[in-house]
Amino acid sequence: MKTVFDTPNHEVPQIERSIRRLERDLLRMGALVEQSFRLSHQALFAGDLIAAEQIPKLDKKIDRFYRQIESDCTTIIMREAPTEKDLRCLSAFMQLVRDLERIGDYAKDLAEIAIKLFPYPQHSSLPEIAIMSQHAQAMLATCLVALADMDETSGQRMKHLDDAVDNAYEDLYQTFAHLENFPGVMEPILLLTLAIRCLERMADHATNIAQRVTYIVTGQRS
Amino acid sequence: MFLLAFLMGLAVGLGFWVWQQVHLNWYLERLLQPLNSYNHKISNIKLLLRPRLRQDISMVNKERQNLQQSLSTYKEVLNFAPLGYLQVDEENQLLWCNQQAREILYLQRWQPGQVRLLLELVRSYELDQLIEQTRDWQKPQVQEWVFHPACEDAKVMTAVKSMFLRASSLPLSAGQVGVFLENCQPVLDLKQERDRSFSDLAHELRTPLTAIRLVVETLQTRLEPPLDRWVNRLMQEVDRLINLVQSWLELTQMENNPTMQLNLEQVEMRSLIISAWETLEPIAQRQSLNINYSGLESIYIQADKSRLYQVFINLLDNSIKYSPAATTIDIETKIISTDSRQILEINIIDSGVGFAIADLPHVFERFYRGDKARYRSPVSEVNSPTGIAGSGLGLAIVQQIVIAHGGLIKAMNHPETGSAWIQIRFSQIMTNSPSQDYS
Repeated sequence: MKTVFDTPNHEVPQIERSIRRLERDLLRMGALVEQSFRLSHQALFAGDLIAAEQIPKLDKKIDRFYRQIESDCTTIIMREAPTEKDLRCLSAFMQLVRDLERIGDYAKDLAEIAIKLFPYPQHSSLPEIAIMSQHAQAMLATCLVALADMDETSGQRMKHLDDAVDNAYEDLYQTFAHLENFPGVMEPILLLTLAIRCLERMADHATNIAQRVTYIVTGQRS
Repeated sequence: MFLLAFLMGLAVGLGFWVWQQVHLNWYLERLLQPLNSYNHKISNIKLLLRPRLRQDISMVNKERQNLQQSLSTYKEVLNFAPLGYLQVDEENQLLWCNQQAREILYLQRWQPGQVRLLLELVRSYELDQLIEQTRDWQKPQVQEWVFHPACEDAKVMTAVKSMFLRASSLPLSAGQVGVFLENCQPVLDLKQERDRSFSDLAHELRTPLTAIRLVVETLQTRLEPPLDRWVNRLMQEVDRLINLVQSWLELTQMENNPTMQLNLEQVEMRSLIISAWETLEPIAQRQSLNINYSGLESIYIQADKSRLYQVFINLLDNSIKYSPAATTIDIETKIISTDSRQILEINIIDSGVGFAIADLPHVFERFYRGDKARYRSPVSEVNSPTGIAGSGLGLAIVQQIVIAHGGLIKAMNHPETGSAWIQIRFSQIMTNSPSQDYS
């Protein structure tokens, strides 16, 4: 409580404050992407079409954040003479928003898949895909926490989760690829294959984000 | 000569000393002034400067201690509050939060004394937006939303429950913002529980009611006048009960499944409204009521015909009940073109006394009855041709059907006449009028 009454320290240099503001926007964008992913999960596995309809609106907001953060980064680099560490931070941010934006895009794709999939009966491997989606969501949450805490040690946990997603992708792909004497239309299978592809890509982008956080903190590319 | 020089030097020295004293006194006086301002009793007593200074300093110290103590009391009270409270600074950094807020928002990672961005601890876009808005507008705000706690473990993800939160924020000095958080999930759960048990009850009632109706029907044929009057009356009441139970079940089903099965087809609005009116005409004639339809001759929308028919039956039945004799009910349809799409607007305006202002937010709630003036007499209730509208569920059903069609419904009073005005808006217009087709 004591800190409430401490006047905010004015000696914080301008650039540090700009970066802090940037980080805040980045986390806002992260919150939106997370929400988008959650909605796409609901749309795909609970048939919640209202959730699916909300995603395009969120995606527009995400895109706006993406463009704004990128241009803010450029402005800071040009105007405020960043140090080596600041520069590392800024360049990593620029890459990182791209990853976040991609995850948001894939969430939108998943929502579209959910709408197309809606009329078909539920496929038997849907629960398995739901678990895969949960793993990918956990990865997004983990990398966002790593970003908030500037924690370079999340890599191991991410790797573990990423393996789970990759294995699920491989298993599901094999299941779909070796369907024989398939009755009826192919569309649901195609849509599900696209869905697992999206999820796999999302997990990959989340891994990238965690790696960029490690790079900001340690300066080492893993 | 030497003595003179000594005296001169002494005089100069004394002069300096006196000047310094005067300066010091003046300085101290000025220093004490603000301190005395809030304690006039002491300032009135002319004391020597130094004792006064000492006294004032000790007084200020005591004051400070008191303030600190009351501050820590307030803090303790706030910490113990059953509501969550958190406070952020101008950069949205979390300065302090109480125990309850920590539980609601899963803030276990935060330690008291730590200053961190709120977003680093809780990734909730809604909460962040609320804080920003409060600061920008410098006005207290209230927002409700479903909060999903972030989860980093895929295995327990399904077990983490989302919460319906209500946050009330207020702007503080220096860009700080305070937010009170309330967990409304238990209330919501309770309401669902209540509705569910009510539906279970309705379900259980349906079978015996049907049996009773069969018995009454049998009795009706075997009784001679004047005894059959009683049974006919019984029949009406049983039908009313059955209708009530049926409507409740229907309403619950619609609410639980908002994307309910609609048999969509092209529906011509004008003829639908007119046919609903024709059904109700016998009662309307008893009160010499007239209908005045104005607007589009033919307008097609994509809708479930029987459900929309029910909408207009319920609405017109309501209007008839609340209209004084020999008046007119106005129905107006029009198309509003916005930049992206066309909206069909239907206005139904009666000539009654209108809704009470206090009732307006509740008219679509189940069993909501407004003030006595609009309370329906039991006679008209029995005579209601639909039975549904008399159940207190009529408008609730109307609202559910309109929502299921992706439309909007609003109840208000006409600004000029003060009579009840129901407005419905649909967005899925098919064609303005087939006669415009060149085929």
